[in-house]
Amino acid sequence: MILHKQNLFGRIITNAVLYLWTAAVLYPLLWTLLASLKDNPQFLLKEPWTLPEFPLLWSNFTYVWSKYGFGSFFLNSTIVTLSSIFLSVFLAATSSYVLARFAFKAGQVMYYLYLSAMMIPMILGLIPLFFLLNDMGLINTLLGLVIVYTASALPFGIFVLVSFFKMLPKELEEAAYIDGAGYSRTFFSVMLPLARSGLISVGIMNGLNIWNEYIMGTVFINDPKLYTLPVGIAVMQTEMQYRTEWGPLFAGLLLSIIPVIIIYFIFQRQIAEGVTAGAVK
Amino acid sequence: MSQQTRRNAFIAVFLLPTFLFFCLFALYPIAKGIHISLFDWSGSSKNKHFIGLDNFRELFNDPIIWTAIKNDYFLVVGKVIGIMLLATFFAIAVTRLRAAGSGFYRSIFFIPNIISVVVIGVLWRYVYNPNLGFLNSFLSLFSKEPVQLTWLGTENLAMWSLLWPSIWAGIGFYMILLIAAILSIPAELYEAADLDGASQSKQFWSMTLPLIWGQIKISILHVVMTTLNGSFIIVWIMTEGGPDNSTQVMGSYLYQMGFRQYHMGYAAAIGVLILTVSLITTLILQLLLNRDTTEMA
Repeated sequence: MILHKQNLFGRIITNAVLYLWTAAVLYPLLWTLLASLKDNPQFLLKEPWTLPEFPLLWSNFTYVWSKYGFGSFFLNSTIVTLSSIFLSVFLAATSSYVLARFAFKAGQVMYYLYLSAMMIPMILGLIPLFFLLNDMGLINTLLGLVIVYTASALPFGIFVLVSFFKMLPKELEEAAYIDGAGYSRTFFSVMLPLARSGLISVGIMNGLNIWNEYIMGTVFINDPKLYTLPVGIAVMQTEMQYRTEWGPLFAGLLLSIIPVIIIYFIFQRQIAEGVTAGAVK
Repeated sequence: MSQQTRRNAFIAVFLLPTFLFFCLFALYPIAKGIHISLFDWSGSSKNKHFIGLDNFRELFNDPIIWTAIKNDYFLVVGKVIGIMLLATFFAIAVTRLRAAGSGFYRSIFFIPNIISVVVIGVLWRYVYNPNLGFLNSFLSLFSKEPVQLTWLGTENLAMWSLLWPSIWAGIGFYMILLIAAILSIPAELYEAADLDGASQSKQFWSMTLPLIWGQIKISILHVVMTTLNGSFIIVWIMTEGGPDNSTQVMGSYLYQMGFRQYHMGYAAAIGVLILTVSLITTLILQLLLNRDTTEMA
């Protein structure tokens, strides 16, 4: 490979912009960390970028965890996210397999309906959905959230998994049929394991969206015991502002960021694949 | 059971439950939303008056909705320009320009994309806070007098203050898309260009850019759609549409009308407006962008 002819000036500018953006991304997060360890006098009397004074106020974290029911927000978000991931991936995978492998008119129509739903603003359906869930007794239940999250995650899942199943070799399926496996047996023991990396990408992408979702969470849940993390933080923020509990507020923000950052660094590759697969091709 | 029956039964079992579920919880609410827009309805009472297109007539005479549309387009244009320029630059920088540590930048720049909009909104609300936030203190370093701007509370500044976190949070996603597009360009093309002595900028303008133009077009459409359909959340968290409705976007106005003031029919009409505006915008954009490629080809 021939060395690139890049002039020194260009290289300096390029690196400078990259450094600047790194700072722009990381500094607000670092600032959150510093602020989460301060008390009110430090907020009022010191410059915002000063380091927190010793002793560091780790108690801000325990305070926000116990006083604001952070533990239950976490639990609710975990239950809702995991259930919705499982349901949406399962439903999307079964449908995608049929849509990818069995060609017929009605299937095409269905596929395009799923796709076009990705373009429609979800907020248009918010009001009717509220009354629908209300009639079914699902307002203020985690089940209600799981249902709406699953429904809204289906189009993306189907979009990615249909193209994924289309890429898998047909020969393996045919071999399974010859060995006497029926359609569903072939799907569950041959095709589904082969699609594993696609399923994980879809699951992670949907999971991140669901974990971070706010609007449906705030409209369909008004019992504080059932708040998910984003809803809890939004409510907490108003109260804390009023009580000037700034340190704990930043501790709460940080507590909610840490798990997604951990998940992100574990599943980085799948997330990048999910992003690329999800871009409308 | 015949082979054909078994096949049909399998298809039905695998497709229909999911499809019915999707129809009930996704398609039906959207259709019903259009229906509700024709009623005068508070949501809680039984009396629901059919008023035809009156909600839409009222909407067009509502000055707030015009501000909202203007603000939506401000965010659309600002985000398209800001995100596409930066994301393209970063994608080129970590692939073609071989900036050291490209994996590092890729990981770091994506972090804002995985954080909840609520957290991003609250975080930036405090960055902009005149007393607690670091922005004013930081700017004061460069001026003789201390900077005391109320970023979110000043009408002319508030929309710009909302635009920045929206760009900040969006870059990483599009950067990854463009990196994938650049990496799919065959390396031989660049080797040939190097042999011919083409400079970096020449390679960018006459090879990289035309070859990733398809992905850039898709990304622009994606920015536009997600902004029109979803950026009301960050508006709602950071300003609730204030001060004095100056940062209202269509979505936040819908939310306020529906779930704060209980004008469900009117809110549904705003929903129909959002749908119409995003469809028309996407259509026009597609025409513009496609014409553009035929000219380039």
